[in-house]
Amino acid sequence: MPRSFDTKSPPFDRLNEEQAGELVASLDIGYWPKGQAILTRGASSDHYHVVLKGTVEEHDDDGHVVAVLGPKETFGARAVVHGGAGARYVAAEETLTYLVPRETLLDLIHRNPGFAAFFYSDISRKLAEVAKGDKGQGLEGVLRTRIAEARLRPPVFIEASASIEETERRMTDTDTNSLLVRDGDKVGIVTRTNLSKAAILAKLPLTTPVGECSSWGLIGVDENEFVFDALITMTRHNKRRLVVTRAGEKVGILEDIDILGLFAGNSQLIPGRIDRAKGVEDLVDAAADIQGQVVRLHHQGVKVRDIAAITSDLNRHLFRRLFALIAPASIAEAGCLIVMGSEGRGEQTVRTDQDNGLLLAHPVPEEDLVRFRAEFQGALASFGFPPCPGNVMVSNPMWSQTIDDFVGQLKRWVHQPDAESPMHLGIFFDAVAVAGDGDLLARAKREFIGMMAGETAAIAHFAKAIDQFPGPGGVISSILATVGHEEPIDLKKSGTFPIVHGIRSLAIEKGLIETSTVERIQKIAEGHFFDEAFARELSEAFGYFMELRLKSQIRAHLAGTTEGESLLKPSDLTTLDRDLLRDALRVVKRFREIVRSHFKLGMF
Amino acid sequence: MLRWLKRRLDLMRLTDPRWRPLFDEDASGEVVTVDCETTGFDTKLDDIISISAIRIRGNQILTSQAFNAFVRPEAEMRADAIRVHQLRAIDVENARSMREVLPEFLDFLGGRPLIGYWIDYDAAMIDRYVKSYYGFSLPNRRIEVSGLYYDRKYGDAPQGTQVDLSFAAITKDLGLRTLALHDAFNDALSAGEMYVQLTDMQARGVKIARERTHDATASITAG
Repeated sequence: MPRSFDTKSPPFDRLNEEQAGELVASLDIGYWPKGQAILTRGASSDHYHVVLKGTVEEHDDDGHVVAVLGPKETFGARAVVHGGAGARYVAAEETLTYLVPRETLLDLIHRNPGFAAFFYSDISRKLAEVAKGDKGQGLEGVLRTRIAEARLRPPVFIEASASIEETERRMTDTDTNSLLVRDGDKVGIVTRTNLSKAAILAKLPLTTPVGECSSWGLIGVDENEFVFDALITMTRHNKRRLVVTRAGEKVGILEDIDILGLFAGNSQLIPGRIDRAKGVEDLVDAAADIQGQVVRLHHQGVKVRDIAAITSDLNRHLFRRLFALIAPASIAEAGCLIVMGSEGRGEQTVRTDQDNGLLLAHPVPEEDLVRFRAEFQGALASFGFPPCPGNVMVSNPMWSQTIDDFVGQLKRWVHQPDAESPMHLGIFFDAVAVAGDGDLLARAKREFIGMMAGETAAIAHFAKAIDQFPGPGGVISSILATVGHEEPIDLKKSGTFPIVHGIRSLAIEKGLIETSTVERIQKIAEGHFFDEAFARELSEAFGYFMELRLKSQIRAHLAGTTEGESLLKPSDLTTLDRDLLRDALRVVKRFREIVRSHFKLGMF
Repeated sequence: MLRWLKRRLDLMRLTDPRWRPLFDEDASGEVVTVDCETTGFDTKLDDIISISAIRIRGNQILTSQAFNAFVRPEAEMRADAIRVHQLRAIDVENARSMREVLPEFLDFLGGRPLIGYWIDYDAAMIDRYVKSYYGFSLPNRRIEVSGLYYDRKYGDAPQGTQVDLSFAAITKDLGLRTLALHDAFNDALSAGEMYVQLTDMQARGVKIARERTHDATASITAG
């Protein structure tokens, strides 16, 4: 029972006095001679380690030192919780570590959500934010709600032998998106997405028994458990729906969106406001609300990916309404308003810039176009959208022209590229249509994918921008290991950009129509370019960078500046966050290498 | 040699089979680090007021299953000792008697060798009770950490080398932390940490460097 163990350093500071006492009582001390491997990658461990004295190095697969851990720093959580260490840990000198037994750690994780949060990265930031001074009925309140009190969807059963068509009708009748499927004693679940995939993508006849497109790995939670438990269960099993049971009986279905509903406050009120707007000035408040809810959702602990999804939905709603309000008849008839870049990928949260454009089916009167460009830009400025530094805006004639001229423009970018061309093409490739005739954009994209098909050199030239900002690469260790004189990490340059651009390059090569980075990763994995496991790591790393970026953006936003919004000082992070950041940077490094070798970028 | 003989005699005379395990050295290789706090520093007169023991298995110091007990002393507590361990008479007033504590302690030891810094002192303190209650001396082999340290640092030192076997010197050379409070548990733990490190150095044949000459400026700059 080493009393010298510091229960005040994270993550142990989340334990209450009794739990801290139990933790300390369970501790043994391990001694590791210099050079000894304490944990090897992939191995499970009976202990979670806290360095007591000495130094432990973390090695990657090539034997490079990627981190150096000193007293009070911890390692091996993954080996205990997930059953396989994330790296190899070697004593760099004679080292003593406190050994937290597996049972104690799991027990505390189970009993203390705040503590658990450190080990389930998905939820960690939510609680971290809450702990930092959320008042009253915030996330904590929601998480401590019993599942029974959440808005549950009553379970509706259907026999596995029922047809897809009957199932769809039953969903419509009962106003639900998911049904429980009964096949003898077996119970599964079918969702609308399952049905559309079966009917549209797999082209199964509508008479197919629904049992064939149901999923049978149902995960249940008891209604007396906390919403928090449901969240952890969803995260752990990667499920969006859980079956809620009462004394073993299935009493309802809980969807992640229901939980989100508990958090999201009044985001759902904004579209109504937008729709009711009679003039541009009415939209100003709605635009401010959209921005306000980003900060609020973040404080309520909603995942950044969900925040981005909600925000881009609302922004598109806003653009659509604005278009309807100001477009003259000629443009309303011939035009297609598009948003591009991060807005198109649905990955913008705090507004950093705007990328938008207008495609026209045929020429319109010049005065209409001039007026529309000016009014549209003026309106966005009044909404607080910063102008695009690259001038990728409707106001720039290069981004508001007829489809024929625009396709000509694309050709020049592809065949006679200048320094800006790859960025222009990248921004365009992420475009989605928000108002007007979406077929125009679809056509432009088809032409573009056609131009790039088989043009290995052109795609490689495009992909090359991934090296525009050299990553921290091999020096991840020195950046993160030396506390004191550290260099801040640029989250955009070292994290999000290489992932976004590498994935975008691959998406062009494969002619994908998806725009969001995560969806593209998924598609690329489905084509077996890389495996599912790497796809998951890459998506998670991407989500993690977005999360960190949002945090620092909000900090910058509150400080009233955009200066250094994507810079992060590792010393501002907890040990565990540093751990995650290192993991994420390592994934980026691997991904860059994959892209580089795939496109043979070494030859340029 | 003398202790070996004494042990054989004690074993022959042993009446209570409960203590038999103490006489067979534990085959598992486990050792146990022991420390006592006492009312003073006279092994004949002073009493034990707290006692801690921690088993060491391989490279693990099993602090989670440590033995800790306070003992109500019969002798009066002396001010100089109180200053060291910070246990006042009032703190041990309600503790248990040695008659209750000792059997549990001996069971905890079993046949494991005893580790300690100045272990002979602690063993002698305990021995006095063992002898008067059960009629034998603690038979366990003793391992002195300052002895292990001596071998690593001064084993091949030329004649006349100044030898410093103080607790502080060992702590410093091994790069161990100094625990704020000198109570039985912390001292037993420190000795345990010294033991695992020194036996590892022994196994690898690593020596501790000696200061070349006495550096007169060291004391100034360190201050």
